[in-house]
Amino acid sequence: MGSRMKTIEVQHEPGLASLLVSAIAGSRKKPGIVKKLPPVTLVRREVVLDAGHIARYGAICGFDVAQGVPLMYPQMLSFPLVMAYVGSADCPWPALGTVHLANAIEQKKALHAGDSVRVELSAGELFAHEKGQGFTLDLRILRDGELVWQATQSLLRVGVKEAQGKPYASHIRADAPLSHQADLAAPANIGRRYAAISGDRNPIHLTALTAKLFGFKRAIAHGMWTKARALSCVLPAYPLEQASVAVDFKTPLFLPAGASVWTARTAGAALFEVRDAKGQKPHLRAHLQY
Amino acid sequence: MTTPATSTTSVRRVAILGGNRIPFARSNTVYSQASNQEMLTATLQGLVDRFNLHGERLGDVVAGAVMKHSRDFNLVRESVLSTTLAPETPAFDIQQACGTGLEAAMLVANKIALGHIESGIAGGVDTTSDAPIALNEKLRKILLDLSRAKTAVQRLAVASRIRPAMLVQPALPRNGEPRTGLSMGEHAELMAKEWGITREAQDALALTSHQNLARAYEEGFFTDLMTPFKGVTQDNNLRADLTVEKLRSLKPVFDKKVAPNQGTLTAGNSTPLTDGASAVLLASEAWAAERNLPVLAYITHSEVAAVDFFGQKDSKSKEGLLMAPAYAVPRMLARAGLTLQDFDYYEIHEAFAAQVLCTLGAWQDKVFCRDKLGLAKPLGKIDMAKLNVHGSSLAAGHPFAATGGRIVASLAKMLAQQGKEQGTGRGLISICAAGGQGVVAILER
Repeated sequence: MGSRMKTIEVQHEPGLASLLVSAIAGSRKKPGIVKKLPPVTLVRREVVLDAGHIARYGAICGFDVAQGVPLMYPQMLSFPLVMAYVGSADCPWPALGTVHLANAIEQKKALHAGDSVRVELSAGELFAHEKGQGFTLDLRILRDGELVWQATQSLLRVGVKEAQGKPYASHIRADAPLSHQADLAAPANIGRRYAAISGDRNPIHLTALTAKLFGFKRAIAHGMWTKARALSCVLPAYPLEQASVAVDFKTPLFLPAGASVWTARTAGAALFEVRDAKGQKPHLRAHLQY
Repeated sequence: MTTPATSTTSVRRVAILGGNRIPFARSNTVYSQASNQEMLTATLQGLVDRFNLHGERLGDVVAGAVMKHSRDFNLVRESVLSTTLAPETPAFDIQQACGTGLEAAMLVANKIALGHIESGIAGGVDTTSDAPIALNEKLRKILLDLSRAKTAVQRLAVASRIRPAMLVQPALPRNGEPRTGLSMGEHAELMAKEWGITREAQDALALTSHQNLARAYEEGFFTDLMTPFKGVTQDNNLRADLTVEKLRSLKPVFDKKVAPNQGTLTAGNSTPLTDGASAVLLASEAWAAERNLPVLAYITHSEVAAVDFFGQKDSKSKEGLLMAPAYAVPRMLARAGLTLQDFDYYEIHEAFAAQVLCTLGAWQDKVFCRDKLGLAKPLGKIDMAKLNVHGSSLAAGHPFAATGGRIVASLAKMLAQQGKEQGTGRGLISICAAGGQGVVAILER
């Protein structure tokens, strides 16, 4: 990397008002062709894992207390950084209208309620997607200076011409036959309930009306909720020290909806999909290793 | 009888001459109006017809039903009286859950072996369609009190305890273990979890079962083992066109209580509730020779085992509900001086695909064989091509008490069909039963 990494400390969780302001301000971003993401790291220096918040998150996603701190929970802690980043001048595109394409999480050590951690977000790389410009954000959680959890968010700015970077390729195999494992319900209010816990108040998840403003016929389930909800059906019933889970988001899950979880398990790994209630259309495909 | 009576207790060989069953039918389908007695009578009569036993007095007829009305206390004797067997043929009922049919065969076989009788029929029947529904338990107690009341005032006082709700809340039979409150499927799900049996392996076994049974029908294997009943000529649970995709599309059904969202047992890899009946004709070699009846095979060994599925003794002794055959078989093998590999055919009743796979897994597991069975080395693998080669309960269905008779007759025929010089001439039967029990046997050509 040629240019020096800039580090910005984020101290407050974003309020609704500041989100709206940055959303509106962000919608004026017109970057043209972006060759490279400006290198930047955003940091929350000290965050303490809150047992109550973990419990509320676990409950809404279907995780059992016996599964420990859910593998996907730490990503909640990075949300203020994501909002600060996409609201800043360092992010070439606005938050609204940016599509979540994929998410890959790796837990190196189990986290526990009460742990004090440092949360980091770094701008990642550009990649070329058939529908537009893709880019990644790297999320990291460190405990006593040790990296214990990391994730890569792959986001897509639809419609950007002359997309830069390597062509996008999914790493999740799609050839293994899956079996119907469980059915799940995504109620009409799940977007609002998830927003209350995650702080992510993206209007496309909240109500049919606000979703319509952005071109969706109804509100859609938050991809990270759908992923977590399905993961709760696939993870073993005990806490894991090390695990990784990668997901490709396929099609939106319009609320309210019934959906089905399909799995293929092997020792220490599972491929899974969330499909529509009939089991025909995939909403997401994921791979878990533990 | 022309066979001379002996006063010795020498043990004789017990011949299997043949068997008969009606096609099995899924619960509440084609046999929904048929009673146990009707089905057992039709099955026995089919056997009598096939072997021309009209007017014959057999030594004994032993059979049973797991789900039985209280009025059917003499089910087997009543059925015999409805056939063309001599009315002097004695009969009695037994019940050992899904082990009933095979246990009945052992009872008849033992009498023949000891020379107490020359011939007999063993069988079983079950219906879950014509199920016994009992009165509401509170109402039953009130009615009993009423019958004990002596004065009109007492009768009125007792009768006033009757509530309308009692009339519409009968006691329904359920497929559950009284001691654990779990259904058999839930127990099997726990076993699958303990032994790491995957959904994919279970579905594969289920598919093979259907394919094998369909082929057996195509080859006419059952023509001399079956009597049509109520217009049905083939087990109606059989799906000849079943695909693995169809099996994969079924959702787990027993996981809610025992393994939420982690289930592997579906309606496709578990046996359905089934109606049906079966019977086998057993005799001494002399009795068979007198009638020119060829011997298909001999019953040579049996064993029954039970496990502490409730952890009554201690948590260490706690064992999966349907794991008893895993204990019974090695005990029987030791007595017979055989290894697990000394067989041409293995008939392991498919209560659930998981039960079969757990059992096979246990026999290959060093720790299980050492700690639970006390063996120096594991029993090892079996050749899967020899397992349930003409299909089993996943495809045919499983009318609890009728499964033993189905297996004994089919296996005896398979051994008889095999060339004299081929193989070891032995077949192994393994059947798990409610209450943590297992009944196993060896047939030999």
